[in-house]
Parts: sequence; structure tokens; C-alpha cells
Amino acid sequence: MSQYKAVNWNTPENDYAGMFWEQNLRQFWIDTEYIPSKDIDSWKSLSPEIQEAYKKALGGLTLLDTIQSHTGMPKLLDHIDGLQNKAVLSFMCMMEAIHAKSYSTIFTTVNSTAEINELFEWVEGNKLLQFKAATIDRFYRNLDAAKVSNEVLFMGLAASVLLESFLFYSGFFMPLWLAGQGQMVASADIIKKIVADESIHGVFVGLLAQDVYKKLPDPAKSKAELVELLMELYENELKYTDELYTEVGLTADVKEYVRYNANKAMMNLGFEELFEIKSVNSIVLNGLNGETTQHDFFSKKSTNYEKSTEILYLRDEDFQMDTDPVF
Amino acid sequence: MVTKKWILLNNEIMIKNDDEFSLHKDKEAVRSYFLDYVNKNTVFFYTLKEKIDYLIEQEYYIDFYQWYTFEQMEEVYDLVYAKKFRFQSFMSAFKFFQSYALRDDSGEKFLERYEDRVVAVSLFLARGDVPQAKSYAEMLINQEYQPATPTFLNSGKKRSGELVSCFLDEIGDNLNGIGYAIDSAMKLSSIGGGVSFNLSKIRARGESIKDVEGRAGGVLPIMKILEDTFSYANQLGQRPGAGAVYLNVFHTDIEEFLDCKKINVDEKVRIKSLSIGVVVPDKFMELAEKDEACYLFYPHTVLKQYGKYLDEMDMDQMYEELVTNPLVKKKKVNARHLMVKIAQTQKESGYPYLFFKGNANRGHALKAIGNVKFSNLCTEIMQISEVSDIEIYGKEDQIRYGISCNLGSLNIATVMANKRIKEAVITAMHSLTVVSDMTNIAMVPSVQKANKELHSVGLGAMNLHGFLAKNFIMYESKEALDFCNVFFMMVNFYSIQASMEIAKEKKETFVGFEASEYANGNYFASYIAKDIVPLNDKIAVLFDGMEIPSAADWLSLMNEVKTHGLYHAYRLAIAPNQSTSYIMNATASVMPVVDVIEVREYGDSTTYYPMPYLDNDNYFFYKSAYDMDQKNVLRLISVIQKHVDQGISTILHTNTKDSTRDIAKYYIYAHKMGLKSLYYTRTRKASIDECVSCSV
Repeated sequence: MSQYKAVNWNTPENDYAGMFWEQNLRQFWIDTEYIPSKDIDSWKSLSPEIQEAYKKALGGLTLLDTIQSHTGMPKLLDHIDGLQNKAVLSFMCMMEAIHAKSYSTIFTTVNSTAEINELFEWVEGNKLLQFKAATIDRFYRNLDAAKVSNEVLFMGLAASVLLESFLFYSGFFMPLWLAGQGQMVASADIIKKIVADESIHGVFVGLLAQDVYKKLPDPAKSKAELVELLMELYENELKYTDELYTEVGLTADVKEYVRYNANKAMMNLGFEELFEIKSVNSIVLNGLNGETTQHDFFSKKSTNYEKSTEILYLRDEDFQMDTDPVF
Repeated sequence: MVTKKWILLNNEIMIKNDDEFSLHKDKEAVRSYFLDYVNKNTVFFYTLKEKIDYLIEQEYYIDFYQWYTFEQMEEVYDLVYAKKFRFQSFMSAFKFFQSYALRDDSGEKFLERYEDRVVAVSLFLARGDVPQAKSYAEMLINQEYQPATPTFLNSGKKRSGELVSCFLDEIGDNLNGIGYAIDSAMKLSSIGGGVSFNLSKIRARGESIKDVEGRAGGVLPIMKILEDTFSYANQLGQRPGAGAVYLNVFHTDIEEFLDCKKINVDEKVRIKSLSIGVVVPDKFMELAEKDEACYLFYPHTVLKQYGKYLDEMDMDQMYEELVTNPLVKKKKVNARHLMVKIAQTQKESGYPYLFFKGNANRGHALKAIGNVKFSNLCTEIMQISEVSDIEIYGKEDQIRYGISCNLGSLNIATVMANKRIKEAVITAMHSLTVVSDMTNIAMVPSVQKANKELHSVGLGAMNLHGFLAKNFIMYESKEALDFCNVFFMMVNFYSIQASMEIAKEKKETFVGFEASEYANGNYFASYIAKDIVPLNDKIAVLFDGMEIPSAADWLSLMNEVKTHGLYHAYRLAIAPNQSTSYIMNATASVMPVVDVIEVREYGDSTTYYPMPYLDNDNYFFYKSAYDMDQKNVLRLISVIQKHVDQGISTILHTNTKDSTRDIAKYYIYAHKMGLKSLYYTRTRKASIDECVSCSV
């Protein structure tokens, strides 16, 4: 009979699980806190080409987050050591479900039901998008067995990092680019929250992958497999970018951005960069900056506030302070 | 849609070379913005005459010919254009053209440049007085003074909103009173005002209606209605309505009130866009300090027992009485826990504002007439108010004081550089007075009554941090305290002098002057007792060439005030001024900067704004507010507050790692230092890199 263990947060399992748990908790948010209805006027002012690209970008993102919450995270959870690590992954899993829902919070606000249905049909019928999903899913499905080798586990984790840190960004480009120019700004608040989440997900899963990588008997082989996978996905991303962005004239910028994020994914996995980057569109790059921005409370909701996780009470000495008048 | 070149250039400021930002890109962005956008989209006129006539004929401008000849107007235009004004940053230019410049009816073409707006405002406010128009124009084009948005935006336009932006009122505890409030909210919001209400008189959830217990819905449902009202009645869709509500901390609905801002709470009780503030009497701070049991009271039972609203009582006197009266229904809480709950809510949402009622009333010049009971959307307006009795149709309402205030700000850096504190304050006071005199909000009689009788204005200041940095003074230093003490004393002096002169000229004081602390001289006591002078040589040098009013000057001012009275019941208030400080290329208000290059998210854009006067030599003096000990900031505000009759919008800047206890300690400090209010709390997030690097 196997022995069941309860998660013990009193003893740290490693030096990062507790920290990522805290950070995840602080970043917690739900889509309905935000007010995309403020973007209705902005939406109507966009050209049909931009609307189309925006919708499709969000549709594609919905698919990726769906896979991540329904397959990716649960499968990885099964094979990861450490109950605290599992707890962090399950929290992330829930957030992925919230992400998947929140894209539709945006397009259900600005689109009609017919347009929404059409969009979901497009997602199901688009070969490039389906290829992206199937490729990642293949590595997740390899984890179906009760026990898997470290090689298989590493590739599962690596696939997850590629999805989180690399594949999302061809989709994120559109809302960030528009928001930097004052369009669809309220919806971008949601997107920025998602970007902040995906970035810690990529780092955390990347750290798990690095732990597994250290245990591999033939790491060079796995690395080669990873690079091969990345290049396969990269070729597909280029075509996907052409399909989404040609009509709005942004393909060159998006492709550079895709390469930039492919590098980030590799770095999260502890490897050197693959592509040489010349210049990434500053507007989109700045849009990624998670640091605190100034905002006007009356015209938009801030993305800066986080759940307070630690409540400390006042003591007597807190009331004793030097309050002599200055002059 | 192609990428706009100027936005790209502005974003490129952030590219670092040898550890220095590409600040020159900002100048390129301004240039591109003008060459590639503004100039191409500006309607061209061959002559000034053609322009003025077109704008009047097409009903963009009011008919200025009723007050001026063309030649007179030309003089003002010439004066302004001769100054060769240039925008110092992309943010300034962008904000001006985006939000203030007059456009044609299609919304596509600009009809005004900055200079034209300045002239239109000046001509409008001077109402035919050419020398006055010129002094307004000079002050504005020198960027010494900036009127608040509604005045700067609407002056001189034929089809425009009101000139005043800020309104407050009480809500009576009955359906007529609530209906009046909602009606006022809708009307004031539609003319572009930010409106604040005091909910403290409303009976709590579960209290009796017509003596049937358990029927009242409390304050939350009213907040919901107000929130929807504000979002419905926006100013022609240009800007969303904005409102705030205040609740007394002793009101039993206070916990529910705070919970409405929680991230994860039921939709029915969640408030998204309405701002909230808590009225904190001294008694509450005392109970927290002593860690004694704290009772919250059901306001309707208090009213029934004493015939007086809980919110109008002096809690220092009445608290024990209310606690011992068995007929007053109450609820026991822990005051320290409640304070921490406020801190927790602030950490999660930035709200609530805090209004320290005791501090606001201690030096209140109209204390014999009434109390200051709450504040406004930006926590700097502090004036008397009293709830009106609204009757059914056919019966006469008893209308009492609401609050109306129009604002403007001095630019500390330019006023100091030009050595024109006196001139700027006096001219600014005149321009604010004109706005108050022209305003007549007939649709909300309580606000109308207050404006008509009290003539309140709120002169503030901006660019404090910019000025200090430019002069190599640290914001948190002793020198900064010294500077503020002298500067704001002077602003106070000249604003009283201006108000007295206006009263003398108009032969009219505000209603109730005789009963005020100005009339009996108490207000002047501390100024007459001792000269206020710069204590530090470096600061003294900054005031060279300007006369600093002495104790003797204050004495003679006091006597003149006793003779002639004051025109304004309230004069000074320091607003947070956001948009307007960008146009002025100034740091906002008297607050420290948040970053050397501010990332600004507005509802309609993201822009990078290098702080005014920033270069590679003075970088060090732009210390971020987030890196400062907030106590230093609060101490500086306490110095300014002594010279300001109303309040100061004071923002707390905290970091993710600051605990609820740290934040609550700032409340205690602010209260002890005599601050009248705290505006919202901003939080800087720990970035992911930081987390990983410090613990992995």
C-alpha cells in the first residue's frame, strides 16, 4: 500500500517554491475586475483589418491557455517532485483557466455572438494554430504514463516553457501595440495581467526544467531535441505571423518580437540565446514592462494593485513617534 | 494604421546607452509630432483677423467683439506670440493637443495652438479689461500659473461646459434627500464636475424605516446607484463621470463600505469606479492608540435619541454618552484592527481616502459658522457643508450649503525663477474670482448657494520636486522644509491680501465673515508672533529680489482685513493636478516624482515623460517617492499645511513588501503631524527579476 503525504509548508522543499506561491497569490486577479466596455468606442474606430487581426490574436491565445490549463499543467503536476511545487503548479493551472476565459471577456464585450462563434470556428479550422497546439500537446501526452523518464519529463516542461514564454507573444503583440498608441487600453489592462502571469509561469517551470536537466545522463541529446522543437515551432510562428499580420503591415516587427521571446524562453530554460536581435518595437517592449506605471484613477483601473497576503496588526510602540512640529 | 513615428520616438527614450536613457529622443518626438501631425492637421489662416472672425462666425468662440476691438485683441496675441513658446517635452505637447486644443466640429483639424488657447482664456477672464487680459496672458504664457482643466479647456468657447470642476454635498437620510443627491450627481457629472457626497447621515443596514426594524438597506445600495449615475452622465462622452463618497468611521456600515473595493467580492456589492473615503474623527485615533474597545453606532438610533446626526456630533464629547445610552444601538470592534483593515483595502485597491476631521477643523477659519465634515474627490477641498431639507412637490425646500470650488495652480519653478510670487498669486486670485463670479449652478441650488455666498476658490501649487531638483536640493532635506515654509507663507499672505483687496473693491465680503477667525484676528496670531524667514543660506539666496512679508506686514494685513473683510471664505487648496502639470512640464503638485522617466497610462495613451529639468548631472535629485521614507514626505506636507486653509492631496507611495502595519503607521504619523487628509495609496510592485534574484 502506498503512503500518502500531506503538503507541509513548514519545511521549505527548495528555495523558490514558497516565493513563487507568494508571488502568484499577490498577482491573483479575475477578469471581471476590469472594464473592457470602455473600449467599445475605440473598437469601433479601428479599421476592419485591425479588428480582424485583434480578434484572431485573442482567439489563438484562448486556445493556448485552454491547452495549458486543461492538459499542460495537470500533466506536469503529476510527475513533478515536491508537494509545494505541485501546489504552485495547480495555482498556475487555475490562473490559466482564468486567462482562457478573460480573452472572451474582451471579445464578448466588443463583438456580436455571430462574430464570436465565427472566431471559434476559425480557431478550430486554422491549420497553423492547430499545428502549434498539436505539437505542444504531443509532449504533454507523453506524460500520460504512470512513470516517465527524466528525458520525457524535461521535454514536457520545456514544451510548457516554449508555450508560455515564446508562443504566446505573436498574439500579445497586437493588444500591446494598440494600447501603446491609445487603442483598446482597458482591454490591455487584462492582457498585461496575463503577461505578468505568463512571465512568472515561464520562469517557474523553467526552473523545474533546469532541475530535471541536471539529472539527465545525456543532456546534449535533450538540448538538441529542444532546439529542434523550437525551430519547428518557429517556422510555424513565421507563417502564423504572416497570416495574421500581413494585412496590417506589421509582419517584420512581429517576427523580430517572436525571435526576441524565443530567446527569452531559452534563457528561462538556462540556455544561451538562439537568435540575433536587432531592434524590437519599443512600444511593445515598453508595454511588457511590469513595473509600476502612473495612472489616473478616474479614467482607468490600475494594474498595480495586488492582493495583500500578509496582515500585520499594530502594537503600542507604533503610536510612539517623534511628531514635534518642524518650525 | 501605421505606427505613429512620434510615439515610437517617445518610446525610444527608454533605450539605454552606456547606462543613460536616450533623453534626446524626446525632443525628436516633439519635433516629429509637430511636423508629421500637428502642423498637417491645423487649419491655416492668412491673417489673425481672418482667424478670429472665422472662429466667432462658426460659433467656436464667443463674440469677443462685445468686449474688445480687433486691435486690442491683436495686442494680446502679439504679446503672447512674441514669447516664442516651445513645448519642453513630448508629453506636454501631446497632452495639450490631445485634450485641450480646440478642434473643428469633425474633430479632425486643430483650430488652436497653445498660444491661442492662452489668449482665449485671458480675453475671456478679463471681460474687456485690456491691461488685465495682458497680465493674465503674460502669467499663462510664462507658465507661472495654470487654471484647472475646466477653466483652461472651456474659457472663451461658445459651446462649452462649466468652468468649475469640483462639487460636494451632503445626503439627507430620507428618499427626498437621496433623490436630490442622485439628481445632483447626474446634473453635475454631465457638466464635467467631480462630485463627492457624504453618506454618513444615511441609516445603516438593518435599521428601522417608519419604526419597522430591519428594513433599511444601508449605504451600499446608494453607492451602487451613484456609481451607475456617474457612468451614465458623462460629459458628452468625452470623459467618464467621476464621483466619491465618504463615510464616518463610527457608522456601522463601515466594514461593508471598505469591503466594496475588495478584489474578490460579489458583483452586487462591488464598487469599481466610485472612489471612497473614510471620515476619521480624533476620537477614533485615540481609541486605537489606547487600544480600547471601539463602538460603531447605528446612526438612525442616534438621531432618534438626540435629534442630531451622528456625523455632526463632536465625538470627543459625545462618544462616552453614546456608549452608555442603551437606546443607541451599537457594535463593538477593535479600532486597531479596523485601521489595519483600511490599510489592507488600500494595499489592494489604493482606496479609501482618509479625512482627519479633527485636524481639518482645528484651525478652521469658519469654525463659528459650521464644521468641515468631509472632503472631495481629490481630498484637498475642505469647507463647511450642511444637509438641505428636501421636501415633496409643492412644499418649500430648506436649502443649505453644498460646496463648489474652482482650482488653479502656481508653477513654483517659474514663479521663483521670474521672482513673481506676489504678482502671480494676486493675478491668479483674480482669475479664480472671475470664474467663481461667473459660475451659477442653478440646477443644484445647494451648490449655487455656497458659491454665491462664499466665493470659495482653491489656489494650489505644482512643480515642487522639479524646482528643488533644478536647484540641487533633495526633496527630503531640511532645506526643502525651509523653502516650503517660506514659500507657502508668502502664498498665504498674498492670497489674503488679494482677497481683501477684492472685498474692498467690490464692497462685499463672503457671508459670515464677521463671525470668522479672520475677523477676530485669531487666524493671524502665529504670523504676528514671529517672523518667518529662510533659516538656510542656500534657501535665502533663492528668495533674493523678493520681499518676504514680516510679522509687522502680517499685523497691518490683519488690520486691513478687519476693516475691509475678505471676499473668499476659502482660498488655498493643493490639488493633485495631473494633466495640467504635464502641459506645464512640471512635476505634479507638491508630491515627489515616482521615477526619473514616468510611464503614464491614461485612458487613451501610454507615454514616457522624462521629469522636468532632468539631465545627467542632476539625476540624483529625482529620487523616487517609492524609495523615500514616507514620513519625510508627510513631514514636508505638514509644513505646507500650516499655510494652507483647506487641504493638500497627499499620496502615500508604498512597496509590495510594506505590511499593513507599516501603512497604518503612516496614518498615525500623518494624523499626529496635523495633516488633514490622505489621498490614495500607490503601490510599486516588486518585479519578477527582483524576486528571483533575491531568493533563488
